[in-house]
Amino acid sequence: MFGALLAAEGTLPGALADVAREFSPRIDIGSQPDRDVALDLSGVERLFGDARTIADELRRTAADRGIRVRVAIAGTRTAARLLVRHRVGLTVIEPGNEAAALAALPIALVADPAFTIEPHDLLATFRQWGVRTLGELAALPSDDLAARLGADGLMWQRLARGEDPRPLVPSMPEERFAQSLDLEWPIEELEPLSFVLSRLMEPLSVHLERRDRGAAVLHVRLHLVKIDDTTPEVHERSLQLPAPMRDARTLRTLALLDLESNPPPAPIDRVEVAVDPTPGRIVQFSLLTRALPTPERLSTLLARLHALMGETRCGSPALVDSWKPGVFEMKSFAPVDANVVQASGLRPGPALGPEAWSLRPDSKPPRLALRRFRHPIPARVRVKDAQPEYVAFDRRGLSGGGVESCAGPWRTTGDWWREGWDRDEWDVTVSGGTTYRLFRARDTDRWFVEGVVD
Amino acid sequence: MFATPDQGEYMTNIARASLESALRARKLDRTLTTALPPLERRDETTVVPVDVTAIDACLQGGVPRGQLSEIAGASSSGRTTLLLHLIAAATRRGEIAALVDSLDRLDVASAAAAGVDLDRLLWIRGHELRRARGPGPRPQTETDSCWALRPGPWAHLDRALKALNLVLQAGGFGVVAIDLADVPPSTLRQVPFTTWMRIQRVVEGSDTACLLLTSEPLARSAGGLTMVLTGRTTWAGGSARSRRLAGLDVRVRVKSPRRRVDGEAGVGAFAHDFVGLRAEAKTALRPEA
Repeated sequence: MFGALLAAEGTLPGALADVAREFSPRIDIGSQPDRDVALDLSGVERLFGDARTIADELRRTAADRGIRVRVAIAGTRTAARLLVRHRVGLTVIEPGNEAAALAALPIALVADPAFTIEPHDLLATFRQWGVRTLGELAALPSDDLAARLGADGLMWQRLARGEDPRPLVPSMPEERFAQSLDLEWPIEELEPLSFVLSRLMEPLSVHLERRDRGAAVLHVRLHLVKIDDTTPEVHERSLQLPAPMRDARTLRTLALLDLESNPPPAPIDRVEVAVDPTPGRIVQFSLLTRALPTPERLSTLLARLHALMGETRCGSPALVDSWKPGVFEMKSFAPVDANVVQASGLRPGPALGPEAWSLRPDSKPPRLALRRFRHPIPARVRVKDAQPEYVAFDRRGLSGGGVESCAGPWRTTGDWWREGWDRDEWDVTVSGGTTYRLFRARDTDRWFVEGVVD
Repeated sequence: MFATPDQGEYMTNIARASLESALRARKLDRTLTTALPPLERRDETTVVPVDVTAIDACLQGGVPRGQLSEIAGASSSGRTTLLLHLIAAATRRGEIAALVDSLDRLDVASAAAAGVDLDRLLWIRGHELRRARGPGPRPQTETDSCWALRPGPWAHLDRALKALNLVLQAGGFGVVAIDLADVPPSTLRQVPFTTWMRIQRVVEGSDTACLLLTSEPLARSAGGLTMVLTGRTTWAGGSARSRRLAGLDVRVRVKSPRRRVDGEAGVGAFAHDFVGLRAEAKTALRPEA
């Protein structure tokens, strides 16, 4: 037995769902969440009485909350929903009589978006055929209807007969994952705060685990003691987590590391922790590839490294689509577990011995690398016959000397519309054996060393 | 009754085997003697191949995991090339690698050209020791404060070592390298030897091959190895106008008494694309172009 409630327009959000939940935990919120709710009433007769009594109780409870509501009870959810849209007041249909009760209803009711029937132009087709009521649609031969209109036509007919197209999927109330603690004495330092955070994170972690959820975003709200007019009331931080996680220690460590970088400006007298939940992570491990560190461990490592080295000094390098020398960008380090053993072409041979590893046939020889000075170092270069003859540096650690071999110049230029570059590049080996990449800035005619070929 | 010489030798061998077995059981063989033959298997689980046949043959498979090894050499000896090639091989096998770049020397285009899967490389960038004002705009980003504030070399090194420690403790990385090649030797000498022992203890027993990139041999664990590189730049082209940098002729001398690896490998020339690494970087960005 199912019931359907249709409230008047202007009903407060969630109010109708609250009324329905007082009668059944299995409710289905319709296309208009504030107005349309269906509920599974199977088994609640023992609590409230027969269907008529339940309908009365539903309307009375809604009226107590200031909601004007239509109620329909029938053997199927679809029948109850169709009836509640057509009839005012209370409607109770005995199970098995749905088709008869629906027969006189206009066919336009099935085109309501609540039933998610597509395409709506079938309504025009049925009207052309002279089908005006649900009874007439239900009476059409199913085989012929399917031959002409396909599965959509059959779906319309099933609804017209009051049959449910799918089982009821209960709408769960939004659950809040939050913990808070009022402190007897304000906390000024982060070390005692870590104990408070542990105490808050542990029940939060248990709650998340019970619901098979992980934290996608961690919110930490610290209510501060008012010291002067400039002190904010709340110090709030939000951490976007790279993967859903619910380990209490990891969450606490991440929150603490973030607060180390962004400490509250005043003592704390109340701590609130909340998370945005997301479905839990399902990991399929592989026997063939080496396991990557867990996201919890990786997040903690990156947070510690950010605190130590700086926010933007750790991550994965990425190429930039530019000819500008040395240009790159930093991305967050988020390796993807991939089964690349077969793709690598590097296959282990028999264990022990120099032949233990065989190189794939298309393996490239090592490519010469440059050790780049992020900020080019000025050099003094003596030129003879348009070629560098002697190189000297003022920087300790760089050895200059007479040029033994050189190649160049290779002219590069770019970004002329803003502060760009225009230079001649040289590869130069000096007498000590070191090979540098030098360049002459053509606008200033000054020489710089860009890096060491190593 | 006296034992015959054959029986005496037999008894000696038995006694020696028992002693060695007892030492191994208590993990004392690493500290008391280096004469014992290695027990480790030589396959992918115990070594990280460099992916250069001559060097891997010399290393008996590759750089050992769970040990502190080092690549040492002067400027232009090919040490950075070798390290990037090793990291590239590791990332190709699906492992992740970390590079603690103490003085921010990595050229991303070189790494891409070497074949490093950049998404699998954790790059931890230190700061340059001193910032000479080069051409181009003054950076406006994260390190503006560092422009004015120039901590000494020791502060840079200290932070880099702490970062290395954090990465090793986190675990899960196939290769973790720290680039100390341009750190002044006087600063490196200030590092207490216990620091390297601590790093060795952290990495011991893990699947991580820890590598130091230095200008001269500095520290390695008993089971680790030292690769000392010497390089000579090679040039192509007969005339001044057609001359170009062809590559590096590198020789690798390997020392590892415990692993009984002690040899020398000539790697030949590391190739150099004279058009420039940027072209490779562009190609890598547009593989279908």
